[in-house]
Amino acid sequence: MTDARVEVSAEDRSMRISLSGEIDLANAAAVEDEIREAVSNQPAVVSVDLSDLTYLDSAGVRILFTLASRLQALRIALELIVPVGSSTRRLIELSGFESLAALRPASP
Amino acid sequence: MRVSRFTLSCPKAVNFRWGGTPFHPNVGYALIVSTPGEPSDTPAADDYRLRRIESVTDAALAHLDVEDLLGELLDRVRELLEVDTATVLLLDPSCQQLVATAARGIEAVVRQGIRIPMGKGFAGRVAAEKRPVIIERVDHTNVIYPFFREHGICSLLGVPLLISGTVIGVLHVGTLAPRRFTHDDVNLLQIVADRVALATQSRRAEVDRAAAVVLQRSLLPARLPVVPGLELAARYVPAENGGVSGDWYDVFTLPSGWLCIVIGDVVGRGFVAADVMGRLRSVLRGYALLGGDPAEVLGRLDQQVQHFDPETMATVLLAMFEPSFDRLHLSSAGHPPPVLALPGRPAVLLDVPSDHPVGVPGGLRRRATTINVVPGALLCFYTDGLVESRKTTLDVGLERLCASIVAGPVDSVCAEVMARLVGDDHPGDDVAILALRRQDSGEIGPLDLVMPALPWSLRDIRFAVRRWLSAVGAAPRAAADLLVAVGEATTNAVEHAYGPGGGTVSVHLELQMPDVLATVRDTGRWRPPRGENRGRGTMFMRNCSDDLRIDHSHTGTNVVIRRRLGEEAAR
Repeated sequence: MTDARVEVSAEDRSMRISLSGEIDLANAAAVEDEIREAVSNQPAVVSVDLSDLTYLDSAGVRILFTLASRLQALRIALELIVPVGSSTRRLIELSGFESLAALRPASP
Repeated sequence: MRVSRFTLSCPKAVNFRWGGTPFHPNVGYALIVSTPGEPSDTPAADDYRLRRIESVTDAALAHLDVEDLLGELLDRVRELLEVDTATVLLLDPSCQQLVATAARGIEAVVRQGIRIPMGKGFAGRVAAEKRPVIIERVDHTNVIYPFFREHGICSLLGVPLLISGTVIGVLHVGTLAPRRFTHDDVNLLQIVADRVALATQSRRAEVDRAAAVVLQRSLLPARLPVVPGLELAARYVPAENGGVSGDWYDVFTLPSGWLCIVIGDVVGRGFVAADVMGRLRSVLRGYALLGGDPAEVLGRLDQQVQHFDPETMATVLLAMFEPSFDRLHLSSAGHPPPVLALPGRPAVLLDVPSDHPVGVPGGLRRRATTINVVPGALLCFYTDGLVESRKTTLDVGLERLCASIVAGPVDSVCAEVMARLVGDDHPGDDVAILALRRQDSGEIGPLDLVMPALPWSLRDIRFAVRRWLSAVGAAPRAAADLLVAVGEATTNAVEHAYGPGGGTVSVHLELQMPDVLATVRDTGRWRPPRGENRGRGTMFMRNCSDDLRIDHSHTGTNVVIRRRLGEEAAR
């Protein structure tokens, strides 16, 4: 089974979701559930850190799109932390995610 | 006590003396309530005794298997001693209980799985005291279990089943009417008991041997895993006496992409050693899954053995390859060091510090060593049976081992080592060897995988592809692209190709310099993607390859991906 970890930390107005491991079709639904449970309607900003992901494909990118549209409805800003030059970064850019969320190279 | 004074030569199976001492070594017997009836000393009585003894020492019985022999002996005992019940209980060494194994006239004891603790009850007392016990009248004071009383048994005679002075069980007979058992009765029953003991013992040894062989075969990997980038070969030869010991080897990958190589040797022989070996093998796999370096993994194994198998001691060498195969981390629990051969160089023993064997309390902190493994390098792991023999010293054995190893094809290395070190000898100990060579990128053949088209195959496919790409020297960017392209193609097959009946997805990767050609094939019919945010996979595939062809036909779908091996795509 594909292994991924979802770690959530919250400060008053922002929430950080760190994804590590691999995400594919086998665990995408489980990862999506974890993220959905973690996100409340409280924060102003949700940042998703993808720096420690070792594999991501369209099954994982789909989760990010779903999350983006939910947050948009809640008027919560979304930012993605994705290292420049990584494979994950390339897929995110290819999929046109920049129009939905700010892409940052590393955590502030 | 009077005894008969003549020597009986039994022409058939057993010779024994009926001399100045009671003819059976189990001299005295405990007597509860009464003394045994005296044997009569007339010629007719002697003749009667002889016939009775011949009946139970009959050589023809030797042809029966143990179950039939027990049954037949119990039938004859019932007839000869004119008793109503006859029962064999065998001692289960692990729990120190007597277990009813065969019975006549009181079959329910076997069916109900009656168990008597050592030293308790009538049978338990026979076993604990290692001598015959007679109960002339069963009541609640002398028989603590109600079983005999419930079945109306009045008198009992029990004798121990002994092998070299060790109790392996009890044979007892009972009567419904009150009965005074005589010395002759006791002696006859003890002869039968000896025969039962021998038959049981030889049967146990046979079962033990057969079970150990089966266990060992089932535990040693019949086929070593196919690991792209590595060549693996192994040999296992049991010792000359046909038994098995606890030698084992194991090769497995971890979800992290690390590859573990284990070789070990459990002290001891036979079924018990093979059984312990099986446990250690599984436990070690589990602990390796938890992560950590080989010293930590062996430390956990050691803790587990000391707690749950305190009687066990084993030497184990654990080697863990990084996913790139560039570096190998090793830790040794008292196991002989592996041999390393580099291309064109003489083989040497690896300098791996040897820590205490597993199962030995009070050891110091375990150490791990890291070595670089260049392409073409060969490693040979072995158990001490290979280098220690009655004829040569360990140093000579190790020297000969190094001299017989070169960095060549693993199968020839195994053959050469076995020829030079075992040769025509029958090994006195089990011999296990495992040879492993890191292939040069030039010699790596295509990768072929056929997996069930199920989501959990995706990870395994990805690992195999990742490893193959690393072995052929794909640039990081090319490897990442191909991983996604193949991942998307296999995901499509998993998601869209088949109905509930399922099917398989096959992946083929080959080098067509300067490109990698990847083919992903299924035999189903893709349905259109469902749900929102779909269809991105094909776009990723196209962008991660230099050339992409997707052919749907009624026999299935073929996805062909071409990508340069170098850093940048050709586009």
